[in-house]
Amino acid sequence: MNDEVGGNQRRARFQALCQSLRPDLLRFAFWLSRDRALAEDVVQESMLRAWKAQDSLLDEAAAKPWLLTIIRREYARTFERKRFPTVDVDELIAKEEPMLAAAEEQSISDVRSALMKLPDEYREPLILQVLMGYSTAEIARELDLSGPAVLTRLCRARQKLRAACGEDTSLDPQE
Amino acid sequence: MMDHARYRSAVLADPHDPDPDLRAHRESCAECRAFTEQVLRFESRLERALLVDIPPKAVVLPFARKAATAAQGRRWMAMAASVLLGLVIAGGVWVTFPQRSLAADVVAHMAEEPDAWQRTDVPVPSLKLNAVLQESKLRLKPDAGIVSYASSCDFRGHKVPHLVVQTQSGPVTVMVLVHEPVRNPKQFDEQGYRGTIVPVPGHGSIAVLMRDVRSGGGDVEAIAAKVDAAIVWMP
Repeated sequence: MNDEVGGNQRRARFQALCQSLRPDLLRFAFWLSRDRALAEDVVQESMLRAWKAQDSLLDEAAAKPWLLTIIRREYARTFERKRFPTVDVDELIAKEEPMLAAAEEQSISDVRSALMKLPDEYREPLILQVLMGYSTAEIARELDLSGPAVLTRLCRARQKLRAACGEDTSLDPQE
Repeated sequence: MMDHARYRSAVLADPHDPDPDLRAHRESCAECRAFTEQVLRFESRLERALLVDIPPKAVVLPFARKAATAAQGRRWMAMAASVLLGLVIAGGVWVTFPQRSLAADVVAHMAEEPDAWQRTDVPVPSLKLNAVLQESKLRLKPDAGIVSYASSCDFRGHKVPHLVVQTQSGPVTVMVLVHEPVRNPKQFDEQGYRGTIVPVPGHGSIAVLMRDVRSGGGDVEAIAAKVDAAIVWMP
């Protein structure tokens, strides 16, 4: 009986945790895939996988990276299951126009469009750092990269973004 | 002493890096200080840009309230079921719930007509096939393969064509779901059935499934594409 009550309380905590993290997870999946519908599918599947595997989450403080890893794997799985056609980034941007244009300022929309065009290898570490608050070491662990490689990608990601947004890059270090 | 290029690379990699060497360089170099301010201004735009709007309902998970009630006395299984249901319902607002339950309903429907799965080279009478197809305003090109079973079935409140097409990989069930639009192809693998539900723009979706997949099975996606191409939608 006590086990049952304890289990219920643990599950209730897990649900509350998922609820609090859900906006971040949806945003992460969106920027990972650059496709709202795909992001929705990925998060849905990931939440169900997480629910089934919740006993493997031993430390609630680690819930966020644990869920992000599930989402990344689920996203990768979608490519194993189905070979997606090559995407035209301009078409993607047009398709996600309502989401990207929701910003009140044109300058924010410009950054969003530039993010959509940023290659995956630069976009993903940048999202992990800026959106998810990951440290360099955590990004390196998640992406299976060395620390210096992560720093290089983050540096280039910002260089490319700033250039795409028409920022003054005259003081930038040469690549 | 850190050089300018190294400092700027470090700032671009992490504009909020509190490293004391970076701070020391910044304090001693006006140009790098200006560069940092420029990068931080852009960083603020970047942070805001990443915060795309999430519709409020998308983050309301009714299961949380249900769980609180459950904790007061419901049995675990009932709670788990309501929580999963809550997840799915909540997801339905912003996440694509219909595809999941649609797959489950399609699989459940298979149990109602087990005789349809016979492996045979005898086609269903064309009169019967045409009657079923015409009810849904469609016809099949001859290259669809041998249709050995055709029935107009009740499914989610509508009559839908339920066909069995004989392929090299064995009989394949096709359900033409005109009233069930889906946004993306959805693969499923449950209760011994493997299948896919593919969108048909303007005409709902098509569910294609095979059974006994452990014995090998075929490429269900390719079969779905072939069936899709063989359907002619009548005006």
